[in-house]
Amino acid sequence: MSEQPYKSLKDLPRSHALSPGTAMCAGCGGLEALHEALDVLGRKTVVVNAAGCMTLLANYPYTPFHGSWLYTSMASAPAGAQGVRDALDILRDRGRLADTDDLTAVVLTGDGSAYGMGLSATSAAIERGLDFIYLCYDNEGYGNTGQQSSAATPHAAKTSTSAGTQGYAGEKKDLFAVWAAHKPSYVATVIGADPLDLARKVQRAAALKGPRLILALAPCPTGWDFDPGDTVEIGRLAVKTGIWPLKEYADGRIVHTRVPNPRVPVEEYLTRQGRFRHLFEPERNDALIAAIQARVDRYWDDVG
Amino acid sequence: MKTAANILGDALFATGYEVQDAPRYGAERRGAPMFAYVRAADRTIVERGAIVTPDLVVVADAGLLGIPAAGVMQGASEATWLFVNSTEPAQAIRAQWRYPGQVVSWPAGFTPPAMHNAAATSASCAGAAARMLGVIARETFESALIAQSTGRSAGAIETTRSQGLAAFDAMGGVDRCVPEGGEHPATPPASPDWIELGADDAALAAPDIYAQATSEQARTGLWRSHRPVIDYEHCNRCSWVCSTLCPDSAIRVDEDRTPRIHYDHCKGCMVCVLVCPAHAIRQVSEQAAQAQEIEP
Repeated sequence: MSEQPYKSLKDLPRSHALSPGTAMCAGCGGLEALHEALDVLGRKTVVVNAAGCMTLLANYPYTPFHGSWLYTSMASAPAGAQGVRDALDILRDRGRLADTDDLTAVVLTGDGSAYGMGLSATSAAIERGLDFIYLCYDNEGYGNTGQQSSAATPHAAKTSTSAGTQGYAGEKKDLFAVWAAHKPSYVATVIGADPLDLARKVQRAAALKGPRLILALAPCPTGWDFDPGDTVEIGRLAVKTGIWPLKEYADGRIVHTRVPNPRVPVEEYLTRQGRFRHLFEPERNDALIAAIQARVDRYWDDVG
Repeated sequence: MKTAANILGDALFATGYEVQDAPRYGAERRGAPMFAYVRAADRTIVERGAIVTPDLVVVADAGLLGIPAAGVMQGASEATWLFVNSTEPAQAIRAQWRYPGQVVSWPAGFTPPAMHNAAATSASCAGAAARMLGVIARETFESALIAQSTGRSAGAIETTRSQGLAAFDAMGGVDRCVPEGGEHPATPPASPDWIELGADDAALAAPDIYAQATSEQARTGLWRSHRPVIDYEHCNRCSWVCSTLCPDSAIRVDEDRTPRIHYDHCKGCMVCVLVCPAHAIRQVSEQAAQAQEIEP
């Protein structure tokens, strides 16, 4: 990993730490973010993967990783990371693993696990001060099983469990705030469509110890219903509209790393995705579109 | 295809048949071929699952005929009718793929909707199938088309309706060509020749992978219907945009900053085509590209 901070896009890693040939969908925004993050973290990682789309990454006899990969149940990835960390520490204490050969425990889960089923184990791991990086690809639903709604599904989105004219009735959980409330070492939101911002944050996280979260919004052609080629454009729009704020928490402070100004109307983002089609067809639902815009405006008003 | 099967199933049901229609996904992922099955009978259907001996096979993407792994002709025999969503003459298709049964394609003069218009393609394939079965009245089929697009805009409903009916009408020449199939009793699969093996040691039996990055050997390039092609005269050797944003790490950059697309792995998502600042990457039909590879 480069020690120099990434100043411009030209500094980004050119070699890839993740091999192609995985079973992820064409245009997967989660895989895009994962490979960009691993390119920065390098190959000295042990990936602890909870059930989800990315369970299919290492599919016997194929693995895209250069290092080890461990599969856990949906709620237990941070517990798995604890075991890996403990084992590595014991090996180091006994002199069987040189400090330079030490590995980083990286939890990899989707939003179903990170926002919901795995949250209790995560909270406890942060409490224990576990030294690990948690990488969440948030595609706002249980994508691997057909996009049922999760605690990360945004208000009004259509999922296979929230059809109808109003879409999902609930609100997207603020996982960044949930993590920050635990006062861990580092929390950041990222997106594959902004690789420089992502690389800087992963690099910063890698230099720290303790619990660290990299939360990536993962545009999902299959679950969000858009053309796979539009993954990057949808991701950029999520940032430009202010729907996905790029920010980081460290030392008790929250800093926004990208402030969209002026903000693009949320409609530009919504209209590109089939999961919001009911807001525009057969009749335009002005009230609901305005409500989504108002939520985003309120967020940025509070940021000041 | 899921939509086409749904329309056909609805129409058969409204006609008074017992119906099963179900999609089958290889994986619920883009790029993989998709199948949907429709069973209809005037009595209780006891069969379940995939159709092993089809009476009619409808192929929406003619490109799949050339991909053995797609298996579109699986279970087909002399008695199986094959409809291909193509304007090529049926006899030419039959000869090219050495199909054992009867082949039907669109009649001369008929223009099917463009492949990328999935809703219209589904409607027209359903129309062709309905007419070849010949047991569904035009009005019943029309109602099924409209029911399928419930909740969509007036324009979308009209597209589905008009494309479906246009296909239905165009296929008058093969009305009722597919005869009703015989009984397909639900037979249990033949039991395999078991060989008893003792349990292996866990170190052997547990599916651990010890080699690194073996996914290089999985050829996801087969998923592609289109491929990106770099025009090196216009590529400005930025060295990062396509390679970093490619979700699959399928674009590697050489030492001299030249990007190389690994076609064995590229799934054809076209992210690179859309993000290249120099617009130096084009989208090319996979079929055309492969034909050119054979006869450059």
